[in-house]
Amino acid sequence: MATLEIINVSKSFGRTEVIRDVSLQVEDGELIVFVGPSGCGKSTMLRMIAGLEQVSAGEIWIGGKQVDHLPPAKRGIAMVFQSYALYPHKNVRGNLGFALKHAGVRREEVEQRVNEAAEILELGDLMDRKPRELSGGQRQRVAIGRAIVREPQIFLFDEPLSNLDAALRVHMRVEILKLHQRLDNNTMIYVTHDQVEAMTLADRIAVFRNGRVEQSGTPMELYRKPANDFVAGFIGSPSMNFLNAEWDAQTEKLSAAGQLLDGSVLQQAGIVLPGESATGLKLGIRPEHLSLSPQGEFSGRVQVFENLGGESFVHINPVDDEVLVAKLEGEHNFRPGDNCCLQANPAFLHLFGADGQRLS
Amino acid sequence: MRTVKKQPQPRRWHILVFILPAFLIYTVFAIYPIVESLRLSLYQSIPSAQGTGTTAEFAGLANYMRLWGEPYWAEQFWNALKNNFLLFAMHMLIQNPIALALAALVSIPTLKGAATYRTIFFLPTLLSVVIVGFIWQLILSPLWGITPDFMKWLGIREWFKPWLGLESTALVTVTLISIWQYVGIPLMLFYAGLLNIPEETIEAARIDGLNGWWIFWKVKLPLILPALGVVAILTYIGNFTASFDIIYTLQGGLAGPDYSTDVMGTFLFRTFFGFQSQLGDTYMGATVASVLFFIILVGVAIYLFGVQRRLQRYDF
Amino acid sequence: MASLTRKLERGRAGLSSLGIHAILIAYSVLALFPLYLILLNSFKSRRGIFGDPAGLPNESTFSTKGYQSVITNSDFPLYFGNSLVVTGVALFFILLFGAMAAHALSEYDFPGSTFIGLYLILGIMVPIRLGTVALLKLIVDLNLANTLTALILVYTAQGLPVAIFIFSEFLKNVSHEIKDSARIDGLSEYRIFFEVVIPLVRPVIATVAVFSMIPIWNDLWFPLILSPGESTRTVTLGVQKFVGQYTVDWGAVLAALSVAVVPVLFMYIIFSKQLIRGITAGAVKG
Repeated sequence: MATLEIINVSKSFGRTEVIRDVSLQVEDGELIVFVGPSGCGKSTMLRMIAGLEQVSAGEIWIGGKQVDHLPPAKRGIAMVFQSYALYPHKNVRGNLGFALKHAGVRREEVEQRVNEAAEILELGDLMDRKPRELSGGQRQRVAIGRAIVREPQIFLFDEPLSNLDAALRVHMRVEILKLHQRLDNNTMIYVTHDQVEAMTLADRIAVFRNGRVEQSGTPMELYRKPANDFVAGFIGSPSMNFLNAEWDAQTEKLSAAGQLLDGSVLQQAGIVLPGESATGLKLGIRPEHLSLSPQGEFSGRVQVFENLGGESFVHINPVDDEVLVAKLEGEHNFRPGDNCCLQANPAFLHLFGADGQRLS
Repeated sequence: MRTVKKQPQPRRWHILVFILPAFLIYTVFAIYPIVESLRLSLYQSIPSAQGTGTTAEFAGLANYMRLWGEPYWAEQFWNALKNNFLLFAMHMLIQNPIALALAALVSIPTLKGAATYRTIFFLPTLLSVVIVGFIWQLILSPLWGITPDFMKWLGIREWFKPWLGLESTALVTVTLISIWQYVGIPLMLFYAGLLNIPEETIEAARIDGLNGWWIFWKVKLPLILPALGVVAILTYIGNFTASFDIIYTLQGGLAGPDYSTDVMGTFLFRTFFGFQSQLGDTYMGATVASVLFFIILVGVAIYLFGVQRRLQRYDF
Repeated sequence: MASLTRKLERGRAGLSSLGIHAILIAYSVLALFPLYLILLNSFKSRRGIFGDPAGLPNESTFSTKGYQSVITNSDFPLYFGNSLVVTGVALFFILLFGAMAAHALSEYDFPGSTFIGLYLILGIMVPIRLGTVALLKLIVDLNLANTLTALILVYTAQGLPVAIFIFSEFLKNVSHEIKDSARIDGLSEYRIFFEVVIPLVRPVIATVAVFSMIPIWNDLWFPLILSPGESTRTVTLGVQKFVGQYTVDWGAVLAALSVAVVPVLFMYIIFSKQLIRGITAGAVKG
């Protein structure tokens, strides 16, 4: 249980800068998720917190103690890896107790802590098996157990569910969430490229891109008020629709996909419109904020229709070269080429400037 | 609060500790001698001024001139080189196809006893050439070998010849014995290559309508071409150096009869240590070794830049 | 149904299963017969050997004199011991130093790592025998001529490139995360090598061991040149000299030959299965 402070941390490998001046506060007991596309620096950041990589500049503090010079074992962290990283030659019990034994903890205490972790993760029957005799999900539980046994100040998870199949992934996600609650809200840092994992697990999300934190906040903050078009596109599934837009300050109208929208409508959504005319803007509409309506402003031919039963996704071309995807509740049936008219909920419109930043 | 300071890289002595033992032993006892031999090939032994012993004197390429210019050396050199290339050609044309065929058969997934066959085929490779040499003398000897009797039993006794003793057949016989011994190595490499091909690829070919024979030619063979390349270069290198052992054992240092089985290895040995009437010469020995070094270098260069680059490697 | 499919498969393979076995058995006979001959004749008296080399030993020809004279009347046990020492110690160094270097090369990024990696495996392509002339000088200068130490050092140098190559290829495919995990558990870099990496490379240790052992045990060249002395002869060189020396005692020669095969055979049979796995994992992908 501890706070984590990252202060102006940078990291470069040779000439390539992978982390650029990142600062971040993690509160005691928070589960923060680092999310971003591959190569965004999120894993490097985690490895620097763990001490597996040296920071090139900046400081890292854990629980009020500067740790960036310390070796990993002295930082009070435990880490769960994507490939589980279990020692193949030791059985489950040996894997769980290894770090403690190495640290010179008394035998009885090792045993007690190993048994506790085994109980939490329901590993009791597997204690004498070797990693190769376990399934993926079981291996992941052992990997998590190995972290619990160390009673760390901070848990680090590096894409722990990426090697599991879809069903197991959902299951383990819930397990991790339960674990977080069960361990009295231990501080956890969780790295993933999957925004669904981020949304469901996180107290707070930090979205990484090109070695910078684009935005950090609660899942709903990021969903409602994405700071820029990148975050807007990354959070939410299916992704937000973006339409090229132009703002005419004279007529106070925004033109997008051949339609003119009133400035007053946009202001209701909290958008601050530029004082002068502007081009290269992007109007963002989430698929779930589009609905079928004969009076809808966006109409076009159906390109693709994906039916999931209770809900469905319809892809239309309001104009050439632009696509709108709408998420429809209930049962529908469209065929390619059908006409479809969609209405956007004006309260949930997003507008981004030519630089990608949110206008609000 | 903005404190941007450079972190010093910790000293990583352990990397040095891990690499140094291998690096030192390898450099001192493998690389240095080879480089030093190249240098020695540029020296000649001159009787020293005091009249006792000899000293080395820089002689440029004089040793190489002697090797290729003086008939005594040139004759031996070209003969050994010719034999070496014959040896190489025969290994490529006989040993490696046999190895490939056996590997293809042993790697059939439904074959029973594959492990036993594999073990048996590799057994001769485990043996010392001394043993191999002796076994085959026991078999082929015209005096007490078993072949003459065996052929008599077959009724073809008059076809028997003392193959190891005849100039015309000695080299071929030695080569066949060498193939008998070493077929296991390419066999293992091919076998491992064939095992590495995923079952799905073969099943896909089967669905595409190929039968066993065509699957081998059109799917498996192209996929193990890299192993074929490795086998070719290993055969090339081994043929210039390792072939010494079997020839020295079977035919002696003079590589008889009448040098008909002489190869670069035996030639180097005789040059360096001398044999019977011939005196050993360190510097000529170094020269022969150096020429051999360049011959191998050319082969390796052809492999690395000509062959290997064109061979697509497939990772499954 | 399953057996029917299998039959179809075999049919399509172009050769019937019977034909395949016929070919394989024929080659097996070719591979085994000479070995059988040696073993057979090592239990026969001299008359038995030359009178009927292919015949089984019978009452009048059976004799273990060969083995007796090998063990009692010769230096053979000494040679055997020399070979065991040379091969064993060299093998230990090859495996230890090879694994250490391969681990450093695959785990750490440091300036010149690619160059050093290439340098260390150069020896696969350039046989160490080419340096014999200078090597002999070096060994004499170091006062190591006619010692087992000389052979151990040379064989270690000779074996390292292949060992480093196979270990590196294997370690390339091993997750780095497990070593990171050990770092978080507080292990030093040395303990990571001994407690994590060594158990990890265990499957290829057998491959490297067999590949390194065979050429050392069977080598004739370096014992002949570096330590031909009576007391430092290896089994291979010793047997080679036997063949000349004991022309009258063929039984002893054959017995010596048979015994000399034992250690390699033993290693191979133990590790045969792992050997294939190791080749598959490392050598071929190269």
